[in-house]
Amino acid sequence: MKALPAVRLRLPRPGFPWSAPEVPQGFERPVVERRVGADYDTGWSRRPLARHARLLLLEGPIRLGVRALAAPERAGGDRLAKLSGPLIFAANHHSHLDAPLLLTSIPEPWRHRIVVAAAADYFFANRLIAAASALVIGAIPIERTRVERRSAERASALLTDGWSLLIFPEGGRSADGWGRGHRGGAAYLALRCAVPVVPVHVEGTGRIFGKGAKRPSPGTSRVTFGEALRPGEAESASRFAGRIEEAVAALADEAATDWWSARQRAAKGETPPLTGPRGTSWRRSWALGDRRGPQTRAAPRTAWPRF
Amino acid sequence: MKALQVERSLPRFAAARLAGAVAPGRGARVGPLRLVDVDPPALPGPAWHRVRPRLSGICGSDLATVDGVASPWFEPVVSFPFVPGHEVVGDLDDSGGGVRVVIEPVLGCAARGIDPPCEGCGGDDVGRCRNIAFGQLEPGLQTGYCADTGGGWSLALVAHQSQIHPVPDGWSDESAVMVEPAACAIRGALKCADAGDDLVAVVGAGTLGLCVTAALRRFVGPERLVVGAKHPVQRRLATELGATMVVAPATLARAVRRATGSMALGDDDGAGSQPLQRLTGGAGVVVDCVGSATSLAQALSIVAPGGRIVMVGMPGSLTVDLTPLWQREVELVGAYAYGAEPALGRRTFDLAFELVAEAGLGRLVSATYPLHRHADALAHAAEAGRRGAVKVAFDLRDEKGRERL
Amino acid sequence: MRPGFVLEVDRSTPPTLFHHGEGFRLERLPVGSRIVYPPEPLPVLPDIDGAIRHALLHPVDSEPLPALLSPGMRLTIAFDDISLPLPPMRRPDARQRVIEAVLDLAAEAGVDDVHLIAALALHRRMTEAELRHALGDRIYDAFAPRGLLYNFDAEDPDNLAFLGRTEQGEEVEISKRAAESDLLVYVNINLVAMDGGHKSTATGLASYRSLRHHHNVRTMQHSRSFMDQHRSELHSSNWRMGEVIRNAGVKIFQIETTLNNDTFPKPFDFLQKREWEWSLRDRSTYLGATKALRRTPDRVRRSIFQSVLAPHNLTGVNAGEVDAVHRLTTAKVLEQQVVHVEGQADILTMGLPYISPYNVNSVMNPILVMCLGLGYFFNLYRRQPLVREGGVLIMSHPTRWEFHPVHHPSYIDFFEELLAETTDPLELEKTYEQSFAEDEWYRHLYRTSYAYHGVHPFYMWYWGAHALQHLGGVIIVGGDPKTVRRLGFKPATTLADALEMATDVVGPHPSLTHLHAPPLLLAEVT
Repeated sequence: MKALPAVRLRLPRPGFPWSAPEVPQGFERPVVERRVGADYDTGWSRRPLARHARLLLLEGPIRLGVRALAAPERAGGDRLAKLSGPLIFAANHHSHLDAPLLLTSIPEPWRHRIVVAAAADYFFANRLIAAASALVIGAIPIERTRVERRSAERASALLTDGWSLLIFPEGGRSADGWGRGHRGGAAYLALRCAVPVVPVHVEGTGRIFGKGAKRPSPGTSRVTFGEALRPGEAESASRFAGRIEEAVAALADEAATDWWSARQRAAKGETPPLTGPRGTSWRRSWALGDRRGPQTRAAPRTAWPRF
Repeated sequence: MKALQVERSLPRFAAARLAGAVAPGRGARVGPLRLVDVDPPALPGPAWHRVRPRLSGICGSDLATVDGVASPWFEPVVSFPFVPGHEVVGDLDDSGGGVRVVIEPVLGCAARGIDPPCEGCGGDDVGRCRNIAFGQLEPGLQTGYCADTGGGWSLALVAHQSQIHPVPDGWSDESAVMVEPAACAIRGALKCADAGDDLVAVVGAGTLGLCVTAALRRFVGPERLVVGAKHPVQRRLATELGATMVVAPATLARAVRRATGSMALGDDDGAGSQPLQRLTGGAGVVVDCVGSATSLAQALSIVAPGGRIVMVGMPGSLTVDLTPLWQREVELVGAYAYGAEPALGRRTFDLAFELVAEAGLGRLVSATYPLHRHADALAHAAEAGRRGAVKVAFDLRDEKGRERL
Repeated sequence: MRPGFVLEVDRSTPPTLFHHGEGFRLERLPVGSRIVYPPEPLPVLPDIDGAIRHALLHPVDSEPLPALLSPGMRLTIAFDDISLPLPPMRRPDARQRVIEAVLDLAAEAGVDDVHLIAALALHRRMTEAELRHALGDRIYDAFAPRGLLYNFDAEDPDNLAFLGRTEQGEEVEISKRAAESDLLVYVNINLVAMDGGHKSTATGLASYRSLRHHHNVRTMQHSRSFMDQHRSELHSSNWRMGEVIRNAGVKIFQIETTLNNDTFPKPFDFLQKREWEWSLRDRSTYLGATKALRRTPDRVRRSIFQSVLAPHNLTGVNAGEVDAVHRLTTAKVLEQQVVHVEGQADILTMGLPYISPYNVNSVMNPILVMCLGLGYFFNLYRRQPLVREGGVLIMSHPTRWEFHPVHHPSYIDFFEELLAETTDPLELEKTYEQSFAEDEWYRHLYRTSYAYHGVHPFYMWYWGAHALQHLGGVIIVGGDPKTVRRLGFKPATTLADALEMATDVVGPHPSLTHLHAPPLLLAEVT
């Protein structure tokens, strides 16, 4: 039996310039430098067109989304009333929601002239994510794994230029609902550019969309702005970072109890630390009480088909 | 003779009711009341006299009849067709024109020829006569509601000897015509005699309200007497006649609360939308001289627990929440007409003559009309307060044909 | 900042602004009239929180606040109520800033027992929203839920302390908590020269029993004016009471703040400009606003006006011993407000605004109109009144027959019942004051609702007693005739009519002075 000739469906293949040219022999294909990660240039996202687009996004869908998901209660905005010029907002970090929540909470005139320090390895992993981060939240890449001179220089240039900075000095989202120790970036930048640091405490977003959560579960959140801190004369970055951490811890205390009790404890040096008690993980969770982190929800049991 | 007569005509009553709903007093044009030419009433017996009215007042109960809203209660105790008018001063016919008399309109046992008299009339309390529909006369609780006697809104009526009170010399007709309403007011005022130090509140300052105010001042003498009066002329007169405080009806509750130091309910909703309405204490006695659902409700809301409401104004059929009456154990007392006043040992009409003279109640007559302008007269009476008047009356002194009768 | 001055009206002078309740009028004043313009706002302190802290740490005639604080002590912080400042200031309020600073120091010192009391005397209680506005959410949330932040109750016999009598026999009875505290910190806002000093505690935390000794006709008629402490019987009495309070061992740390007169927010700041300096924008705002307001329902218009928050802010803060502090404060108030005026006029005109100390978030009723015009504005003088004895006061206000039934229940009865009888303050005081002061229902509403005390309308009337005695007549332009007559004044439709009516009293060709306020000023009349 004679084998049937194989039927080959031939689609017309478009040639150059519709497809990539073949490289003539003897030539090396030039290596294109992909500038992502810490090297990503976010300059375009601060030009008027991008800023206006961001303004529309922020005041429209993002604000609505934040309200629907996190129902934020905002306190302490009056403490900012007396400030002017660029500020560094240093907040604790529970969730990806924190940045949009804070961007919609920070009062004018800082709200629309602010950049967010975002992890270069996460938010600038590839060009698409990087562009989205830069456009939507005005992110600038910061290396979190190592000290990197360029990202610090870039941030300080922006601060000098009158841009404010939102930074999460814990260097990442909380895994268990408790904070992590502060890194020195915010303090260092404040010292270097002589810009006041506003401690900010965010509560509740961990429950709504914490680290590891697959989908958000709407809830309530609370943002508390603190009194601006200025580095003392000859204060070192690490000491100042410690003060910022204490200030955020005091705000956490204020949000959990009330201002007066928080002040009393702060004056006695009894403010509960942000990092929670030492010990085994269940004890840490237990100590969180109602402020527990992301809750794994049991799949809803349906006793009857639902249409 | 000319007379204003009320006929029993259902369509006319219905029309009056509709017109009266548009504006009080309007029933006069379309209603059961018509100006007609009728024979003068015949004398029913030997003790009867013919009286030719000089002035004849328009009373609130007359207005109700004209507007077709009088209570069905009256139906068996009136007889059609009748000539209204029970506030009458007139000339006694057989005296040769020299004697003016005031009619005491209640048609008791004496007038009806019933002997022995009933319990009421026997005690000279004719207002409480048990025989108002019986005896030699057609049914009719008063002159002005009885087919046989005629009424004040005509050139002639007949009156029994017992109904006749001569007018003292020197009295104006205006003063004399106020004797009957003053007597009603005294009847009501004397039901407040045990008010003591309690506040007495008078709701309404029309003819009755003002007469009650004067009567309270003269015969009861309450320390504090507050009157709710809507119109400026009423306020002025109420003050002159002895009110210690005169306020607008809307603020009567406030004034009573202030005067009694009572607490109040219903003013504290935060938005301040509700006016103060209910008192927890209040006036010891409230005299309702209006007789509407609103006035009775107001009286109920400002009377003190265990207090008394005296209804002087004719009420008719009302829809009122009587829960406060029950919960606050309030006495509701009627004050219809007159007779004997055992508390003072005199007849109400005698007291009325005294009151009219002493308080100068003749000034309450603000306007008079001839019979043929009855529509205007009734409209004026219905809106008396707003138009700056108190008592409106028919003036029959210059009617044509009066002398010929 | 330019000082205040007196302008003589000539043919080129533009029409003059008159406040007119929730609206405005532009009136052309006769040539030769004089207009007293207030000084422009003083500059605000550059570092307010720094200044507050400095005042607490370096008080006058007193140890620094931290030295007065110790663990286990009883600390009471009293503060001025909703009647100050006018209009309410933007957040953060001066009281919040000062009290937060005080509490910070108290926390550092380990003080646990702290009470905060709104020193409102016989005023209405402050609502939660009003307390939050004055003190901020942090203080409210920390203290109110535990019952440590509350309104003073002058009718709570269990919580009043009788401290004694002055040498003139005046009884002194103030808040028990304040009297028994180890330290009373009083935080005030000194809007006008009348406020502050010993009046803060001796009036703000006192009961009727105590207040009646200086809130009466005789005192007010001998306070000329009550804006001038040294010629004010009101202040002499309060100072005597202050002495009794001090001798009773009550330790007061007084903190007084002064505001500039930056009264109206943009774009309505033209209301505090001189008319010839109104820009095109100012003029169009004026025209647009007046036109729009005329078409706005009363209720909406009121809520628009009542929501105005003034941009005024602190020009000074002083802390320490009451007398010493108050001297500095008064000097600062005078620096902002004094305008020199030569000679009195036959006629004084003024436009009354929508707000008085007693109708914040409320209705400006006719009695408050009287009090604002004849009480406050008439008394904005030192040495002698702006208008001569027997002269005429012309004020412009709609003066409607309306009351806030929750806030001013006793005012309604005062107006409906008493003013119909008499407008003579002495007669009112003698015959009726006590029955209103002791009325159980008013007492109940004052204590549990948001009502001014039963006796408060009398005080309003007494406030104008000096003016009633001094003036030959009062005319209200644009006022509801029935209401104005009930007040005992004369209504006029236009200013021209009013001037015509005034000449019947003061004779032809009268001299006229116009008080161009607010912003507030204090006329030094020589």
